[in-house]
Amino acid sequence: MSSDKAIEVKGLTFTYKGDDETQAVKGIDLDVERGEFVVIMGPSGAGKSTLANSMNGLIPGFMKGKYGGSVLVNGHEVKGTPVSRMAKEIGLVFQDFEAQLFSTNVNLEIAFGPENFGVPRDEIVQRIEKVLKTVKLEGFENRQPATLSGGQKQRLAIGSVLATYPDIICMDEPTTDLDPVGKLGIFTIAKELHESSDFTLVIIEHETEEALHADRVVVMKDGEILRQGNPLEVLREVRFTDEVGIMSLQIPKYFKELLNCENCDLPLNPEDGYKFFQQQGLKIDQGKYDQLVSRDEERRNGYGEVVLSVEDLVHVYPNGNRAVDGISMDIREREFVAILGHNGSGKTTLVKHFNGLLAPTEGNITVGGKNTREHSIFEIGKEIGYVFQNPDHQIFADTVFDEIAFSPKIRGSSEEEVKERVSEALDAVELAGYEEKDPFSLSKGERQRVAVASVLSARPKIIVLDEPTTGLDYKEQKRMMELIKKLNDSGHTIIMITHTMWVVSEYAHRVAAIKDGKIMMDGPTREVFAREKELYDSYLKTPHIVSLSNMLDRTVLSIEEMKFCTGGLQ
Amino acid sequence: MDMFLYMDLNTYVHRLDPRTKLLLMFLSFAVGVMYKNIVMLVAALVLVLIYGGMGHILSNLKRIKVVLIMITLFSVVIWSIAQSGETRFLIFTLEGVLYGIMIAIKTNLMIVAGMVFLSTTKIEEIAEGLVKIKVPYRGAFAFSTAIRLVPMIVATSYTIIQAQKSRGLDLESGSLFEKIKKYVPLMIPTLVSVIRGTNVFSMALESKGFGYSNNRSNFLQLKMSGHDYLMMLIGLTIVAVASYLKFDPTAYNTLINLFPWGDFA
Repeated sequence: MSSDKAIEVKGLTFTYKGDDETQAVKGIDLDVERGEFVVIMGPSGAGKSTLANSMNGLIPGFMKGKYGGSVLVNGHEVKGTPVSRMAKEIGLVFQDFEAQLFSTNVNLEIAFGPENFGVPRDEIVQRIEKVLKTVKLEGFENRQPATLSGGQKQRLAIGSVLATYPDIICMDEPTTDLDPVGKLGIFTIAKELHESSDFTLVIIEHETEEALHADRVVVMKDGEILRQGNPLEVLREVRFTDEVGIMSLQIPKYFKELLNCENCDLPLNPEDGYKFFQQQGLKIDQGKYDQLVSRDEERRNGYGEVVLSVEDLVHVYPNGNRAVDGISMDIREREFVAILGHNGSGKTTLVKHFNGLLAPTEGNITVGGKNTREHSIFEIGKEIGYVFQNPDHQIFADTVFDEIAFSPKIRGSSEEEVKERVSEALDAVELAGYEEKDPFSLSKGERQRVAVASVLSARPKIIVLDEPTTGLDYKEQKRMMELIKKLNDSGHTIIMITHTMWVVSEYAHRVAAIKDGKIMMDGPTREVFAREKELYDSYLKTPHIVSLSNMLDRTVLSIEEMKFCTGGLQ
Repeated sequence: MDMFLYMDLNTYVHRLDPRTKLLLMFLSFAVGVMYKNIVMLVAALVLVLIYGGMGHILSNLKRIKVVLIMITLFSVVIWSIAQSGETRFLIFTLEGVLYGIMIAIKTNLMIVAGMVFLSTTKIEEIAEGLVKIKVPYRGAFAFSTAIRLVPMIVATSYTIIQAQKSRGLDLESGSLFEKIKKYVPLMIPTLVSVIRGTNVFSMALESKGFGYSNNRSNFLQLKMSGHDYLMMLIGLTIVAVASYLKFDPTAYNTLINLFPWGDFA
């Protein structure tokens, strides 16, 4: 057996049991060289996770189905080898960091893998030290994993896998639930692992901007590999990435659409973009830019009354954690506010006060004239709807209709009215015709929209959304945001928590950045995103197009805006 | 939110070997099961509380105070009606009240003893302690995993309650039957989320080599020290004395005479 290749996939096909109609992967061939860093991208349902799970034997060992072809990892035939044996060769890190950590402290978490392989204790001690250094968690030895931040938890998960000394690491969307700087931390570790030794790295990722550091990018769709090659080349092909449905890099997309050229050598990042901008003799048309700014202003003048007011809010959890530490803000009718902050900054705690799920320790919240201290969640629920992050935390009914009818029914609406409200809500989320479907059989994006509809059916004036785009692919994210924008245009006030920065820059009117329970910045999106350095200090990173415009001393928020105010074209 | 019962401190009790703590817990259970005498049970409860106080974990009892109080109330109310006796007032009997108190102390004694054990012993130590007393590793791990999953389930159901309350679910009002129906929107998402979570959990376990071989090594080093033997000795002595009291008729009569109404043997 040749062992010069780390991974050899030959004609892999897999059909999940219970879903006999669709093949998750359709005859994939993929070789990964020793020491290579490969990023796998593609929309939901592309078969990326299926591919990852078949590398360490979870497929077909753990998840059953029809298996064809072969996968060799370090020369071992994966099919027929126990997952626990494969753990010596390849470490797998999952997206859900909460569920993969289970020990009482960091040391024990990392020791678990080596213990299983009977590594002597002295060596385990050495390994812990080494691994903690690699994942930058020195000094956390005795901390409980539950007390770590999201980024730290995911780094610990990587560490716990590294400790068995596999020479291949595969990460399945490791950064989906992390804030931008937490993401960066994971990618830094990946890069260092790649540089420092002959680790082979396979990472499944949605973020195009981060894939640039890889040796090779593999783009999948519908169970097939569409294209692979140097990320600089593959990702420069904006037309292709647009077509597949992964997010195109903003800088080449902007220049391609602006200059209308097919095969020119486009820059990929803001720095090169800036140079290219100058070379091409482009400049910002001040008149047009002023138009953008005055459009913002007009929109602000069109807002209604204050509908939600937060006064000196403090929230202290029973364990003494001061999660919200003196926040005041007023939100007016028809505003679209994005609340940003790192994992654990207190943003979820803050918004949970808005519909009375949490009571203030100090201060007051007034929603539509009602103080949340004096009214029940049920009453405040008429004014404000709350869409939780994970749609699976609220879906329970057998049909989409019943799910959405839950709220109006419980509020005593007549049958006629329930029907009317359900169809109105379904129209709003573009799921008309789905009434009789089983919500559990829908895709994640569709379930998320059902969750939104089930809140809309109560006809709230204000809608709070906790990370509505997390875990969705680019197309689904875009669709979700268009829907929220439509709701906003039709008069709803929107308050949204998110980590996805391009979503904020393209859709939000106003940004409040929270750090350690305090508001660091609060203002119109354009003004806040101009302060790139300060954002970075709050663990937030602006999208590429915003960074480029900031280098040009203006702040534009989307490719469309940038195209609109670029002047100097021949 | 911290859902683990374990309190990460470094006290005398925390430093004891898990086997010692396991033994002490079972001895407390034994006394609880053996006796139907209020005096004995109160004495045992006091000893367990002192032992917990040494571990600085009594504050953890606050978290289950609702459970403890409910058990006491239910036990007293139900037994005072159900137990027959001579000293009757309305539908209650005095014997029943005392019997209820006895059962309440018995139950609470065992819960508190279990709580002290879980608050002072890491889950890994429990598993390792069980392995050391020859429980197969997989069994020990399954047991410790069950303890581990409780906080996960509690945290998930907490989020789900909040999500459904936000949609207008009102758990407080309505008749009993209506209330039961109201729990459907909570049960289904909880089950779905827990099944999903445990699925990732078991995949993560296998991906870290769980079950690779039966010769596992151990990062935690368990060693019985003088303190362990001392505590075991104290525990065993107390139970021995208690057994003597139970099985020697004269001694037992002396005990009963301390508080004749509190004995139900």
